[in-house]
Amino acid sequence: MFTQNPQTVAMPEGTYVFDLRTCNRRLAFNRFFWNMIRPEARQAFWDDEEAAMRAAGLDDEEMALVRARDWLGIVQAGVNFFVLEKWARVVRKTNLEVYAIMRGESFEEFMQTRAVPHAR
Amino acid sequence: MARIIGGIGTSHVPTIGVAYDKGRQEDPVWAPLFEGYKPVAKWLAEKQPDVLLFFYNDHATTLFFDLYPTFALGVGERFPIADEGAGLRGLPDIRGDVDFQAHIGEALVNEEFDLAFFQNKPIDHGIASPLPLLWPHEPDWPGTVVPIAINVLQYPLPTARRCYRLGQAVRRAVESYPEDLKVVVVGTGGLSHQIHGERTGFNNTEWDLDFLETLRDEPERLTQLTHADYVRLGGAESVEQIMWLAMRGALGASLEEMHRNYYLMTTTAMTVVTYEERETAAAAQQREQEVA
Ligand SMILES: [Fe+2]
Repeated sequence: MFTQNPQTVAMPEGTYVFDLRTCNRRLAFNRFFWNMIRPEARQAFWDDEEAAMRAAGLDDEEMALVRARDWLGIVQAGVNFFVLEKWARVVRKTNLEVYAIMRGESFEEFMQTRAVPHAR
Repeated sequence: MARIIGGIGTSHVPTIGVAYDKGRQEDPVWAPLFEGYKPVAKWLAEKQPDVLLFFYNDHATTLFFDLYPTFALGVGERFPIADEGAGLRGLPDIRGDVDFQAHIGEALVNEEFDLAFFQNKPIDHGIASPLPLLWPHEPDWPGTVVPIAINVLQYPLPTARRCYRLGQAVRRAVESYPEDLKVVVVGTGGLSHQIHGERTGFNNTEWDLDFLETLRDEPERLTQLTHADYVRLGGAESVEQIMWLAMRGALGASLEEMHRNYYLMTTTAMTVVTYEERETAAAAQQREQEVA
């Protein structure tokens, strides 16, 4: 079922609209990342990733994406970036590092495209 | 009567908070950002508003997608600043004036803006990133905050026009409060940036500057754009600029831009602008001349 929302017609490529249908499909996956705002959830993830994913009810595809640290794949699957960035803190990735990965570039390559390449 | 004495548009990039906490204000890559906020902090120190009324967004921190409101107003004397995955920030809790918040809520609902209300919840970088650059916090913040959260994450989002009208209704709500409070309205977010998908890193300075001109002088034009227009022109996450439109809606027709700083360092065009209503600016000038 495609959206009839006139506000989201003609979105540019490389952009993933997080809407009610996406959210409904991936609520548990989004919640898994959202939970990382709680120190107990972060500790549980550090202690045993597999157990943490099972407890959150992730499906096989979602678990594989997490294991692979497939940032773009996770977004494409339907996770909102703002819950994903909470998990980035947990696996000690800066947002700039995640941005480079999503663009398919090395960190240095990505920073060379920025206005202040040596900014951190 | 409470009244609006000005407006601020500001980015709310979370790394501003990180740089602030690490004391990087003098670091050459960050100084153009922090220097750009000094005139804003000075302006606020001179104007001494009692209240900063924020149109901001929660980044799925305070609220999760199992119940994600289109508009939500926070009510409380204290709001802790949220842990967003990296721990707590060591800033004092944000202060609130419950009676004023409740009045704004009542007035808006009676104008058919059927808001949700949240209490006893932490607030994330949507407010907490710029707040310490605007107001001092030692030993405590000098005033209170009215937090109005707008959904800019989960489509369907409120339209640009709806946000502008919310701002207009907020002005009437403020002006119907009997106590003599001075209020500055703040819209946070933007300007151009995209931080998800292959299009990550998109910026458009030409559009950003055009947006600022149009917002000041012809805001109605910006209410006609769709979310996809904002995304195409400024990147996916720049759609949060509809919160600047809410701020603009709360201000009068003719505005003076008192200060502007625009610094595109890596991925977000970090921007801060302060506005006064032109009548106010003229009156202030006249007062100065009279004193002289
Ligand atoms: Fe944001």
